[in-house]
Amino acid sequence: MVSAQKGQVRVITGNAVGAYGAMLCRPEVVAAYPITPQSEIAELLSQFKADGVLDGEYVEVEGENSAMNVVLAASVAGARTFTATSSYGLVFMYDALQETSGFRAPVVMVNANRETPGIHAVSSGQQDLISARDTGWIQIIVENDQEILDQIIMAYRLAEDYDIQLPIMVNYDGFYLSYLAEAVEIPNIEDVDAFLAPLKQQPERQKLVPGVAIGCGTHGMEMGYVEARYKHCQALERVKGKVDEIDKAFGDYFGRYYGGQIEEYRTDDADIVILASGSATGTVRTVIDTKREQGIKVGLIKLRLFRPFPAERLIGVLKGKKAIGVIDRSLCFGWKYGPMCMELRALSPEIGPAPILSYIDGLANLDITVPHIGRVIDEVSAAAQGKPYQEVTWIPMEE
Amino acid sequence: MVEGTKKRNRVFDYFCEEDQFAGGVAWCAGCPLELTARFVPQVLGKNMVIVGTPGCAAPVLHGQNVGAWHKLAYMASVMTGVPSKATGLSRYYNRIGQDATVVCFTGDGCATDVGFQPLSGAAERREKIIYLAYDNEGYMNTGNQRSSATPLGAATTTTPVGKISRGKQTISKNMPLIMLMHRPSYMATATLSHLEDFAKKLKKAQEKVKEGFVYLHVFSPCPVGWRINSNMSIEVCRNAVRTNYFPLWEAEDGKPRLTLEVANPKPVVELTKLMRKFSHYKEEDMANLQKAVDERYALIKSLCDAYK
Repeated sequence: MVSAQKGQVRVITGNAVGAYGAMLCRPEVVAAYPITPQSEIAELLSQFKADGVLDGEYVEVEGENSAMNVVLAASVAGARTFTATSSYGLVFMYDALQETSGFRAPVVMVNANRETPGIHAVSSGQQDLISARDTGWIQIIVENDQEILDQIIMAYRLAEDYDIQLPIMVNYDGFYLSYLAEAVEIPNIEDVDAFLAPLKQQPERQKLVPGVAIGCGTHGMEMGYVEARYKHCQALERVKGKVDEIDKAFGDYFGRYYGGQIEEYRTDDADIVILASGSATGTVRTVIDTKREQGIKVGLIKLRLFRPFPAERLIGVLKGKKAIGVIDRSLCFGWKYGPMCMELRALSPEIGPAPILSYIDGLANLDITVPHIGRVIDEVSAAAQGKPYQEVTWIPMEE
Repeated sequence: MVEGTKKRNRVFDYFCEEDQFAGGVAWCAGCPLELTARFVPQVLGKNMVIVGTPGCAAPVLHGQNVGAWHKLAYMASVMTGVPSKATGLSRYYNRIGQDATVVCFTGDGCATDVGFQPLSGAAERREKIIYLAYDNEGYMNTGNQRSSATPLGAATTTTPVGKISRGKQTISKNMPLIMLMHRPSYMATATLSHLEDFAKKLKKAQEKVKEGFVYLHVFSPCPVGWRINSNMSIEVCRNAVRTNYFPLWEAEDGKPRLTLEVANPKPVVELTKLMRKFSHYKEEDMANLQKAVDERYALIKSLCDAYK
């Protein structure tokens, strides 16, 4: 495969990027319901449909639960599908999310991250994606507008892979990215076609066809249930390698690489590592550069793949490091650590005895600032030198 | 018996397909739902995809009872997603030119309660799907709890008869009328005692679904929950029609019409006496139910007369 043509560069919002990303992949059935901060995607896709740019069906559903059910069923019938939501919408889909992964329907969904119900916060946070952690979906978190677009294209290649056949949620920080306009290279649709073409050479997946005796989502009694769940879990394990493989193929063709499951930044010679995700990682890189100049050997892991959890690659990077700091933009009710920190602590036996410090920051649109990250690095660095440390810090509560 | 002496029932003229269900399926003895499930594909043909839910249809449609199943394409759904799933299927099949009749097959609990939002949404969007609600007036599969289709005064496990309260305190939703207000391509009520009427409506549904949404409301007594003798289900259907408790009517392109006008309707007690869910009724309760039945019938009748 040769390289793609240079695409058109435009300054557009993260939401607009989401709509362009979907349209470029030629979905056959799209369903979406507007919700802040995602609404612009629903509006733009409707406009694409009205203008004839989007050839697929567009279903203006009466709620998010229906949006997921529409794309789930269309996907099972054989369609390429797309939907987008956020927060309250995502939790309103909860039963359908589980059906979608249980049906092994390769739906691609964009989720503009926002805080979840209970306390009405029309603001950014990753609590929604955390709430959907155990629904059996693949969950990927991206950092900027270009990555939203590129990841949507990669998501189809991954979801529809014959060995995977699972739905994917592409997450980006609502408000921070949904309304942020930045320069994005929009690939030519023919190049996207070419990148997705290998899917056509794979065996055809099982579909629900009228007149054929086939039950879909039916009761898996006893061993039937166990076998289906086992295969689902095995497929999730295969996702990890595929993400790296597809990232490499994408980079080779379009010229942009993201590191696959995780992106490593200055970790090779680092004594301490900060683990973060989403739009805040850009700021973390900047602070790391400053701290490096001050002689602190610190690196960053940008967690891209959250489900399945990239255990092997994390262990590979973190084994033998002296201390780790994890910045979570969400909570893990019932555990004092943040969710990503809790996940990482499950790898402690393999990583070694390094202190793992949990930081809760950036909830409800509160910025994860340069001073915040500076403080995190200083404290993790002190912990690495054997000084006493606080296991969990809610940064905004201590300011 | 000498061959040919008995007249062949005309309903067979409407059949285009053999029975799609095996013998020995896991439905209760005397259940009209089983007969409905067997009847519908015989009239509509096997090029259908059924979307169904946990509920009375599930033991067979979901394939719980794997020893005796059916030959149809089937998608299982939670109760909140049925018409939306049907939308996804129908949009895609239409797009690729795949011949298919997408049929939602749910109970009244799904249609009138927990699954009403997507039903209303799909009807408003005029999705090309047939939604068939088999109305057994409650959640019978989970053990006879009330739904909003449970009639006034009926005893269920969640509207029991006690010292303070006696059965359900409110009338049922007039679901066929609610669906008519969505102005579907076609809406009809049907029941098994009037099979030819039912078959005609299914054929019409199959035609009209090419233009838009179709809603069918099928009265389907529950021998277990209503406490009816299992050989009396069809008789209960018949008396529901003859008492105007369940009027047979339809609406093509929004125009309502009675498909059977009962000449001398019987009092509703002729229906309620066949079952024990109203056995606690006193005279006054019966008068209230009769009033509810009369009111509902008068409303439908006046609508139908207005379009004559």
